[in-house]
Formats: sequence, C-alpha cells, structure tokens
Amino acid sequence: MGRYVIRRLLQFIPTVLGTMFLLHYMTSLAIQFSGNPVRALFGDRTPPPALLQAVTERLGYGDPCLEQKGNPCFGLFLDRVSGVFLHFDFGINMRRQEVTDLVANALPFTLKLLLIAIVFEAAVGIAAGVWAGLRGGSFADNLVKISTVFVISVPIFVLGVVVREFVGVKFGNILRDQEWIPDVIAYGFFSPGFKPDYPFASLLIPGMVLGSVALATTARLTRTSIMENIRADFVRTARAKGLANKRVIGVHTLRNSLIPVITYLGVDIGSAMAGAVVTETIFNVPGIGRLVTQAARTGESPVIIGVVTMLVLVILLVNLLVDLLYAVLDPRIRYE
Amino acid sequence: MRGKFLKVAVAATATAMLATACGTGSGDGGSDAGGTLRVYASEPAFLLPSNGNDEPSLYVIRQLYRGLVKYNAETGAAENDLAESIESDDQKLWTIKLKDGYTFDNGEPVDADSFIRSWNYAAYGPNAQNNGYFMKRIAGVDDVTSKDPDGDGPEKAPAPKAETMSGLKKVDDLTFTVELSEPFTGFPTTVGYVGFFPMAEACLDDVDACNETPIGNGPYKIDGVWERDVEINLVRSDSWQGEPGKPDAINYRIFADVDSGYAAFQAGELDVMYTLPPARFKDAKASYGDRLFEQAGDSFNYVGLPLYNENFQDKRVRQAFSLAIDRQSIVDAVFDGRYAPATGFVAPSFQGAREGVCTYCEKDIEKAKALLAEAGGWKGDKLVLWANAGASHEAWLQAVGDQIKAALGIDYELKVNLQFPEYLETADNEKFTGPFRLGWGPDYPYLETYLAPVYGTGADSNHATFSNAEFDSLIKQGDSAATIDEAIAFYQQAEDILAEELPVIPMFWRKEAAIYSENVDTFVWNQVDGADYGATSLK
Repeated sequence: MGRYVIRRLLQFIPTVLGTMFLLHYMTSLAIQFSGNPVRALFGDRTPPPALLQAVTERLGYGDPCLEQKGNPCFGLFLDRVSGVFLHFDFGINMRRQEVTDLVANALPFTLKLLLIAIVFEAAVGIAAGVWAGLRGGSFADNLVKISTVFVISVPIFVLGVVVREFVGVKFGNILRDQEWIPDVIAYGFFSPGFKPDYPFASLLIPGMVLGSVALATTARLTRTSIMENIRADFVRTARAKGLANKRVIGVHTLRNSLIPVITYLGVDIGSAMAGAVVTETIFNVPGIGRLVTQAARTGESPVIIGVVTMLVLVILLVNLLVDLLYAVLDPRIRYE
Repeated sequence: MRGKFLKVAVAATATAMLATACGTGSGDGGSDAGGTLRVYASEPAFLLPSNGNDEPSLYVIRQLYRGLVKYNAETGAAENDLAESIESDDQKLWTIKLKDGYTFDNGEPVDADSFIRSWNYAAYGPNAQNNGYFMKRIAGVDDVTSKDPDGDGPEKAPAPKAETMSGLKKVDDLTFTVELSEPFTGFPTTVGYVGFFPMAEACLDDVDACNETPIGNGPYKIDGVWERDVEINLVRSDSWQGEPGKPDAINYRIFADVDSGYAAFQAGELDVMYTLPPARFKDAKASYGDRLFEQAGDSFNYVGLPLYNENFQDKRVRQAFSLAIDRQSIVDAVFDGRYAPATGFVAPSFQGAREGVCTYCEKDIEKAKALLAEAGGWKGDKLVLWANAGASHEAWLQAVGDQIKAALGIDYELKVNLQFPEYLETADNEKFTGPFRLGWGPDYPYLETYLAPVYGTGADSNHATFSNAEFDSLIKQGDSAATIDEAIAFYQQAEDILAEELPVIPMFWRKEAAIYSENVDTFVWNQVDGADYGATSLK
C-alpha cells in the first residue's frame, strides 16, 4: 500500500510538469498570434511606447520570445517552473495581484460550492437510485428514470440561467413580498446569486445547480448497480441465511453497489470544477471558476497556468483517494 | 426603506436596525435618513488614483478622493473643488492655489506637495502607472520616462534621467506652479480627472497597501478592506470639509458578469446600476420606465479610413461612403436604439458641440454616386471592413457594408477575426487594408480631447494618419487662446475641416443607460463622471 502510494505520487511529477508546459505553450501561442494583451488594456488610446513597455515588463509579458510565432519559449517556461517550485511564486495578474493571493481568496467559495454540490448529489442521487432500484418497473422507478433524463439533457448553463431567472428573481420576489418568511430564506436562499450577507445560504442554490447533472447520473448508476446486485448470488445467500432485510440491503447490496458510484463521484469532482466555471459566473460566486473565466477572457497567462495547475493537483489527489477507497469498500481489491 | 440594510448601516444607526429587524420599514423614515446606497460594480483594477483608469475603478476612486476641480452635474463645466484658483497669463505656466483646511483621512494636509507627489509618481516611467499617459503635457515628462534601447530586446531600459518633472514647482504650502511644454487653455478642465487627484505621503511609503486600503481625501472613506471580487464598503468621512455625501454608506457589490448584476437588481438587491446588459435593454425600459435614465453619452464610434491606402486618399470617395450609410436604420435594427447617430465629432453634451456639423453624415445615395463618379469611381478591389473579434461588431459592420454595396455597388468582405490586442497592434502599425471600426472616449470634458489626439498630425491615436496643416494650426491657436470661449471658436473651425475631409466616418454615440430602484429619491447623473453616488439620495 505504502509503495503504491509513493509510486502514484511520483507519477504526479511528469503529469503536473506536462500540464504546465501545455498551458504555458498554449497561452504563449495565444500571445504570439493575437498580440500583446497589455496593449488591449489601453484600448483606443495608443500609449506612449515607453509606458507600454514599462507596463508590459512589469506584468511579465516582456520576454522577446512572445513575439516569435511558434517559439515554445523554453526559457520563459523554466523561469516559470522555477518560480513556482523554488519560490512558490506563480506570478501576477493584470492588476498586479499575486496569483497565490487570488487563489487563496477564491478557494473557500469554490470549496463550499463543491461541498454543497457533492453532498447534494450523493445524498439525493443515491437515495433516489436505491428507491428506484429496489422497485424496478414501479412508479418510483419510472419517475426517477424520466426526471433524470430530463436533468441530464439540459446543459448546465441553460439550467443555471433558468434557475436564476425563475427561482431567484421571479419566485424569490414573491417570497420577499411576504413579511412572515424569514430573511435567510427570502433574501439568502432565494437570492439570484451569491450574496456577501448570506455567504452560506446564498450558495445553496448554485451548489444544487452544479450538482444536478451529476445527481442524475449518480441516481441512474446506483439504480442499475442495485438492480444487478440484488439478483447476485451473495445476496440470495444472505437472504437464505435469514438475515434481516435491512442488513441484506444495507450491507450486502448497497455496499457492493456503491463501488462504481464512488468512482463516479470522485471523477466528478474534476468535472464539477469545470462546471463551477459556468455556475460561478452565472451566480456571481467569486470562486476559482469565475477567476479562470476572467483570466481566459483577458489572456492572463500566469493566472491560467497557476490556477489550472492547482486544479490538476486537486484532481490527481482526489483520484488517488478514490482508488484507495476501493480497497476499503471491497476487500478483494489490494494494492501491492 | 424596505428590504435589507447592510451590516454597515445596521451598525451605524440603531434606529435603522430596529426598523429593518422588525421588518416594518416602509420608507417613511424621513428623507434625512442617509442609508446605504447599494450599487452595481465590476472589480476595480486599482484604487490608486495614479493607476486606476477603468470605469469600475473610477467609480470608487471618485468617492474616496477629490481633485482640484469637479464637474457640474448638469453642464459638465469645471468648477473649483480643492483649488482656490487656477490661473495663467500665457496658458503655459499655471499657478494653482489650494483651499486651506482639507486633509487626508490619516490627518495629513492636502497641500501642494500632495499633488506634486501624486503627479510625479504617475509620470515616473518605472512605476508603470496607467495614468502616466495624462501627464504628457507637463514640462519635463520625457525626462522621467526612458525607452528601451533595443525595442523589446534583452537589454533593460535604463533608469530615467530624472525622478521628478521639472514643470512642477512648489511655491508655498498651498501654492504650486505647473509648467506645460505647450500652452493649453483647457488645462484647468483636465485636472478633475482621477489621474490628477492628490496622494498622501503615507501612501507613497507603501503604495500597495494604499491601493488595498486607500488613504483618501474625499467625502467617503473605505470601511474595512477592499474585499476582492466580493464588495467594497465606503462610509462618510469625518475629515471631509466640503459638502457631505448624501448616503451614509455606499456598498459596491462586485459582479463578474453584467447579467448576474441585472438579476440582483431585479431581486431588489441593488439601488443603482450604471450599465445594462444589451440584451435586457428593452426589457428594462418596459419594466422600469421612469426609473431608467438614458442619454446620449460621450463614447464615439467611428469607421476610420486608412489614408495611407491610395484608394482612400480622395476625400470625395470618403464622402461618398459616409453618404451611403443610413445610421438611424442601423441603430434601430441592430442596437434596439441603444446608440444615437453621430452628426459631428464632439459629444453632444460637451461645451461647444454643434448638431449637424457633418453634412455628409445623412444618407443621400444620389449625391454619394455623383461624388464617387467625380472621383473617378472605386479603384480598389473588394472593400475590406475591419473590426476586432468577440465584441459583437460584426452585425452593424455588415449593415454598413450592405448599405455601401447597395448604394455604390462596391462589393465588400468582413475581416473580423483579430483579437483586440492584435487588432490594436494592426492599427498602431498602420496595416489596415480598408475601413476599420474604432472608438474614442474623452480624457477630459473639453472638446479638444475629441480633436487633437485623434486627428492631429502624428498624434498617438491618429489611426487614419490624417494630416492637415490648417487643422493643426487651428488646434494650436485654440490651445493658446486667452479664454475657453475663444478656444472653442478655433476648435469648431478645426471640426469643420474634419467634416469636410472625413478622415473617419462618424457613426454613433453610445447611449448611457442607468436604472435605479424605488429606494432612490433623487438619482444624479454627472455629465462627465456618470452616476454620482455621493450625490444620490435615498428615500
């Protein structure tokens, strides 16, 4: 087990370096082909060359290789890598803020959002899946099947905007007109976006939207898995032994059925991060996703490289944790 | 006032706290109640006056700091604010006297040094301050910036020759002189811009800290810290000696996306929104009617003509193009009326602006055909129309192309795939092969700002490469005229030359639109600065 973990951790190094180089190369190409992003800061006003140069230099876009189309800028890459790993310096954005500060400010919001999303999708998704899976072909099963197809087929940016307009604004406004409804519900939970006054309540709906697509998949996955296992030999044996139904379902069926679900939830943390890019922008949550969106729009290479590298690390770690969780759920799996 | 007060207000006034806590607040708390004005904002780039040049930064800095002059909300005319007087005999050496008794929030006096310090800091090249651009008229500005000897090469630019501009001299604590490199009558109107606001000495010692927690001299001061990407809270400053701000506090809620801001406004979370998502404009007009403020703004949209291309050198060709375009129909069809057709080169709200200066800006196909024929017809190939990508310029530019094609029979193609930085570099390097869209906004409320920087020979932003000796000389005469009224006469003559020569085809003025909530008693829109939060009162 220990050796396995160490081997996996060593594999992180080429993955992270490779990601960084790809990001570095892509953002450098973007600058080489679409021009110095610093020039765009001045808009219609042509800045005096000395000023443009001073600002370009200051923001870290002064390397001459950024003007040679196709040049992979190895020198700049080495500078960046050594900055990141030796000095923990990820560079600055166009507003001269440290990328590490940006991430530190944004991370708590995204973590809260992810937590809400994962808890929501796991709790509701697994419950719905079990409910449907134990009663195959019943009304409950059909309800879960149809509603999940519906949720899966609506892209998250559509769902987000629709929820914001109809739940946050229209329905919320009706609630806000009623005096008896507590403020935390009317002004917090049903706010059309993140609100600093209600830092947790106003994140609930964005979190649910973020979790909704994965919720549908979780429910379907649990349902199929339960249906499969309920007919398995070991479940029949358990029943034949005369075990209580609770124990048969809870321990013998559910635990074995959860292996694919856990894998999915683990992998989903990565796609939930990607979904956060959309959800955070729609609901104005000042998290990592909104940060990446803005950085990509303005072409701020240090922010993109820094934040995406950190995301890659998070996903790698989560995947490792998921792999280790298998062994806990299924004693047949061992890591040598 | 119905709804939620913010923490600040709640802490500030016990009565307000009771009113909201009971949930009975209905707005009859009296009009003297300041309350908290909750406004829409984007994340400011900087809160340091010498560095903040984008709209979100300006909206915050203007409440935190004050400058030598302020602009009249109705007329946009410059009026002395911190300055007692700004005078000059030759329009070149200006003597500025300050009013006594003003201080920064940390107790430092607002004196001659505080202005000199700020302007020098902005201009000094290695500080890389965005508003360094605005110091360019002051004598000695070239000595505080330095050029890289080999363009963008490995060698670093040497340190500038001087650290301070020779044109700024302190006379006594409350008096200083500014020497300009060229006479400029409009100088007093320019110093109300944020870039000319003063800076405390403590601020210079730690500029980064001062950017996060500004040490201002204005009617408001920051409450707590700048919560990046979330909100900024300002409260009335006790040290401010002038007319106090109307609201007790201003809460800037920061949005990354204007649509989510609009949703928050609809949900009653905001009192003022100074901009609207284009797609929701009609909807807002229908739902908020009398609470929607709208007026022709000062951002100029034009189609420039590359005079360095031989096909555009005959002014009759340029006139024919301009005559072929029906601006109003484009405004109606493409923009839902969010723009106003331009009939001149100076914003309608500016002193000295005239309606209908451009006689070629009305659609007249017969005249257009005649002028083009007179010029010997169109000699080029397909007309290439340029715009930058991703900023939804395609639709209106295509309409322009269609109208030119319909009127003059010239086929066109759109070249709209360049990203903004590359597009601007193309403009700077004079590589356009056909008409190009660009814009211009004023640097200060003085009509010269629409003329010299854009059409003067060799001017930085003269992308059409227009060069006309008479125009240059009229600008020069205007710059050194004894009074602003005399100057305006010269500038108007210069504008007449543009209307005849048409180096650029004036297209539209963007309309400014703001909405405010039922909580707002009087909403104040300043002709120069936009929404004035400090002057806006709540019910």
